[in-house]
Amino acid sequence: MRIPLFIRRYTPGQFVIHAVLAFALVIYGLPLLWLFIASTRTESSMYSDPPLMLGSWHALKQAWDNLAGYNDFQMLVWAKNSIIYTLGSVSLTLASCIPAGYVLAIAKVPGRRFILIMTLVAMITPSQAIVLPIFLEMTLLGLVNTYFGLIIASAFFPFGVYLSYIYFTTSMPLSVIESARIDGCGHFKTFFRIALPMSKPLIALVSFFSFVNNWNNYFLAFVLISDDSKLNLPVGLTALLSSTGAINPRTASNIPIGLQEAILAAIIVVLPIILIFLASQKHVRSGLNAGAEKG
Amino acid sequence: MTKATVQTKKTQGWKRSRRRENFASFVLLLPYLILMMMFAVFPVLYAFGLSFFDTIDYVFWGLTNYRAALDDYRLLPAIKNVLSFVTIWITLMVIGVTVLSLFLDTLKERTATIIRTVYYIPGAIASSAVVVLWLFLLEPQVSPFNFIFDLVGWENRQHTFQGLGDAWIFSLMSFVAHSGGWIVVFGGALASLPGEVLEAARIDGANRFQIAMRIKLPLIYRTVVLMTILSVSTGLQIFVEPHLIGLAGDEFVREDWSVTQLSFFYAFNFGDFGIAAAMSVLSLILPFLFAFTLIFATKFYKID
Repeated sequence: MRIPLFIRRYTPGQFVIHAVLAFALVIYGLPLLWLFIASTRTESSMYSDPPLMLGSWHALKQAWDNLAGYNDFQMLVWAKNSIIYTLGSVSLTLASCIPAGYVLAIAKVPGRRFILIMTLVAMITPSQAIVLPIFLEMTLLGLVNTYFGLIIASAFFPFGVYLSYIYFTTSMPLSVIESARIDGCGHFKTFFRIALPMSKPLIALVSFFSFVNNWNNYFLAFVLISDDSKLNLPVGLTALLSSTGAINPRTASNIPIGLQEAILAAIIVVLPIILIFLASQKHVRSGLNAGAEKG
Repeated sequence: MTKATVQTKKTQGWKRSRRRENFASFVLLLPYLILMMMFAVFPVLYAFGLSFFDTIDYVFWGLTNYRAALDDYRLLPAIKNVLSFVTIWITLMVIGVTVLSLFLDTLKERTATIIRTVYYIPGAIASSAVVVLWLFLLEPQVSPFNFIFDLVGWENRQHTFQGLGDAWIFSLMSFVAHSGGWIVVFGGALASLPGEVLEAARIDGANRFQIAMRIKLPLIYRTVVLMTILSVSTGLQIFVEPHLIGLAGDEFVREDWSVTQLSFFYAFNFGDFGIAAAMSVLSLILPFLFAFTLIFATKFYKID
């Protein structure tokens, strides 16, 4: 019998490669898959049945109702806050990063090199390192526990400026800009009439990274916001879990927030990002390759 | 009008338009410059200033805050914790990301892209929700990885935490969250390798392993270095993971596991902003050092 070509060529080396990559797929993919499956299962089913068994629509509905019943559906308030914080910061980020990247790439302004270096230092320094100093500053300014405070503090996004700078120096045909300048367009006109309409891919990229950072923002929000009604989803989720002891097996409470509700709440936090990521992954890949952000 | 005055007028006109141009550039830069002043320059200077004051009575007391911070009996264990975490995490990153990237590079581009996307997703959703997810994954009674826990005989979350140790647990969490993005970056670096070089090596009889070790690895070596430096810088600031695992119950609470946690402990639990500021000034030294090294001693970032 003839052995098919692809089997004959399948070497032990290839087997090792495929096995390692498949194992890694399980490590990266299984947790999320499990998260979505587990949201359909009751707590007792999670403890007694195999981990990847599907539950029922009814159980999911029940968990949703329980979550909705918690403090008049406080998750919804946090979701609304998350949208406000994220939209606010993303808009401010775009309004500050794109023109700044353009100027740094095109114009010979005094101090240009210094601004670029500062941008890189701020981009490479882990944001966690600066959270406490920002908290001290915001306390001084009286902006702790305000929407505005968290929005502007999260709008500073040096990575976005660096991406814009790289985009305008490499992807923007310089001849177009130069001919506009020769025709007598100043920086304003050239930026708004020519550069900006040509930067859709850049805007998509900066928006995506800024959106992800802001939607996931836990540390800064945790530090700056203490009022329950102003929390965003990531901090709200932990507030929900610590106040109900949902995933602490020792707490006995009569609030119906348990494992299943905790899982459902976590899904509410991560689902928007997954959807947006899947919709825009091509841009993301090119962005990651354009400039490695902090680890 | 003499020639000279024409010349002067021209220069003046040129200067004026130059000034107008500078003004326009400055206006376009302004929003970003304000944000940079507010959230990079000022906070660092302010924390630096505050670190020399007794912030309860507002009197200058020199290095007292620094002395108090360095004398804290919890600092040394916290430094040890963070260092062991960083060592394990970086080792996992360097080996894991390099091996997975080289392996992916042997697949067809389409397949590799799909797999890279799956590897990247945990990084895109990294927030408190992921730590919560991990608390489930580490609980053998509900975890989808229970087949592994069965093998080693761990029956509950406490067994897992004792068996693996905190540093390993945080390293695994951080590895899954951060490696995917770097695998995409490495994929880009590998794709930019000149095809002729690989072809020439193949013609000379190099096998896959030799090509990976002798050609691909040296060419992506720079990216490995970049990843290592950036990850060390981030890893030293670990806060969220040790801070959140306490959600699983009192026995998991770690309030002063990391140095960053300790500085927040001073700010929030004692309201002593001076010592907190001193600690955060100290923890900014290494990241700044890394940043300046990367900018001035390497060519990773383009500034001209």
